[in-house]
Amino acid sequence: MLIGISLISFFIMHLAPGDITASESAFNPKASEESRQKLRALYNLDKPLITQYGLWLKRIVKLDFGNSFASHQRPVLWETKDDKGNVTKGMIQDALPITLMINLIGLIIIFVLSIFLGVVSAVNQNRWPDRLITVIVFIGFAIPGFWLALLLMYWTGVTHSWLPISGLHSAGYEKMGQIAQYLDLFKHLILPVFVSSLGGLASISLYVRNGMLDVLQQEFITTARAKGLTENKVVYGHALRNTLLPLITIVGLSIPGLIGGSVIGESIFAISGMGKLFFDAVLMRDFPVVMGILTIGSVLTLFGNLIADIGYAWADPRIRRGITN
Amino acid sequence: MKILTQNPLALSGFIIIVAVLFIAIFAPWLSPYDPNYIDIHSILLPPSVSHFMGTDGLGRDVFSRMLYGSRISLLVGIVAVGIATVIGTFLGAIAGFYRGYIDSIIMRFVDTMLSIPTFFLILAVIAFLTPSIWNIMIVIGLTSWMGVTRLVRAEFLSLRNREYILAAEAMGASDFRLISKHLLPNSLTPIIVTSVLGIASAVLTESGLSFLGLGVQAPQSSWGNILTDGKEYIQFAWWLSLFPGLAILITVLGYNLLGEGLRDLLDPKNKNQKK
Repeated sequence: MLIGISLISFFIMHLAPGDITASESAFNPKASEESRQKLRALYNLDKPLITQYGLWLKRIVKLDFGNSFASHQRPVLWETKDDKGNVTKGMIQDALPITLMINLIGLIIIFVLSIFLGVVSAVNQNRWPDRLITVIVFIGFAIPGFWLALLLMYWTGVTHSWLPISGLHSAGYEKMGQIAQYLDLFKHLILPVFVSSLGGLASISLYVRNGMLDVLQQEFITTARAKGLTENKVVYGHALRNTLLPLITIVGLSIPGLIGGSVIGESIFAISGMGKLFFDAVLMRDFPVVMGILTIGSVLTLFGNLIADIGYAWADPRIRRGITN
Repeated sequence: MKILTQNPLALSGFIIIVAVLFIAIFAPWLSPYDPNYIDIHSILLPPSVSHFMGTDGLGRDVFSRMLYGSRISLLVGIVAVGIATVIGTFLGAIAGFYRGYIDSIIMRFVDTMLSIPTFFLILAVIAFLTPSIWNIMIVIGLTSWMGVTRLVRAEFLSLRNREYILAAEAMGASDFRLISKHLLPNSLTPIIVTSVLGIASAVLTESGLSFLGLGVQAPQSSWGNILTDGKEYIQFAWWLSLFPGLAILITVLGYNLLGEGLRDLLDPKNKNQKK
């Protein structure tokens, strides 16, 4: 599986026309064909593809994603020390926590809100709360996130200056107290998190609604009602628990979408997370960074799916005990 | 047609899509100006009678550009999803029909593709090719067939041992005939639903790419790249951002409504629920 991912990301990169030597020497008319060849040799770009892949794979196993092709030559994944003991921080090391933070907060909000919306919708099927929520959900599905981001940025940031519109920290962040720092971060996070979680919110609340409707039809719900349980207990104790199971898988599957979606969000809000790093790297044909992020992103996805599977087993006694049906 | 009128959701989606289709086809006749005509005397004019949606930073008429932009999103949606559906159906059919190791190879490939963040993949490929509308369509198509494959495979697996299939097989029908005449027609419904929903997400992806500057290139207009201009001028010209976003929203909404409506209508499980 991992090998498949590495193969795909590697070959896509190298099928592409043009390489780093082209863009580096484009700015330098004096660069001769000879010096280009030297550059290629330096980065092993002159060897056949299979050899390049082998070399790359060999380093990946040691978690060495190489250094960026860009002029600063920072390591792609993690910090390194040079001979003088200077530490250079890795690019992904810097960017990943930011993206993870935004997406994790987003996921939590998605989870809580969509369960709430879905349940309200299902319990009031075809009455006005359901209709209203369905309309909102459909619009949430269809709204282009970057457009919403743009409008919100304009409205809350430019016209009213309620919220900061870019970056994660205000100027003078270092001088603030602990609490002021958190508050500042929180203010910067509101818009990006909102925009990144909207799509997921729509799809998952629709899913919860349909799941609840299915479960509420079943006989054990009728039994629970017949026992004289309160409606709250029936809905939250019996029905919701059964709806939540498949939800774990859905959330696991939505991870690649969330990571991918961060490209647009982070470019608009000028947040230097994985998405922006990737976008910049792609524009500069910075192979090691692009491949590093593709691989790390996919590993994260696999990891998310693994957690989802474990969560599934943890939540469902039937799976835990190895009973099928 | 008759089915559509039973479901208000599907019907409204259908109307929206027909309207967009109409606009896209008749754009040259509907638009009051040449969409690429640069008029430096009328830069950034707000919406008025002569320019319904105002003008952009180069004095081009936004309304005309919007009309032409509808062609792009329509074309991208349909061609990309067409590619995805063909690949997905083909691989899914083979996997579901032959099972065994062919099935495992195909499904492992699907799993692998699914675990790479799609937008990253699209971005990587697009940025290395020259950005053009054809490349976008192909790349979106090539990165979105996995859902269809899973669906068709599941459908085939459940149909494969039905009696009518076994009967056809016993009568000596070839594999090709079994797949194309018996299995495929019976799995068509979910394929159609997924395709319609797929168009919606393809339209969104295209506008996102164009917004980042990696999609449709100027001077050709697409809703996404009008929005990019809008971003530059957002402090002085709200109309440049508002209208293309609304257009994307409405179009995507249309496909989603139609898709979900069709799913409700064609899914026998849902019919029982209503009784």
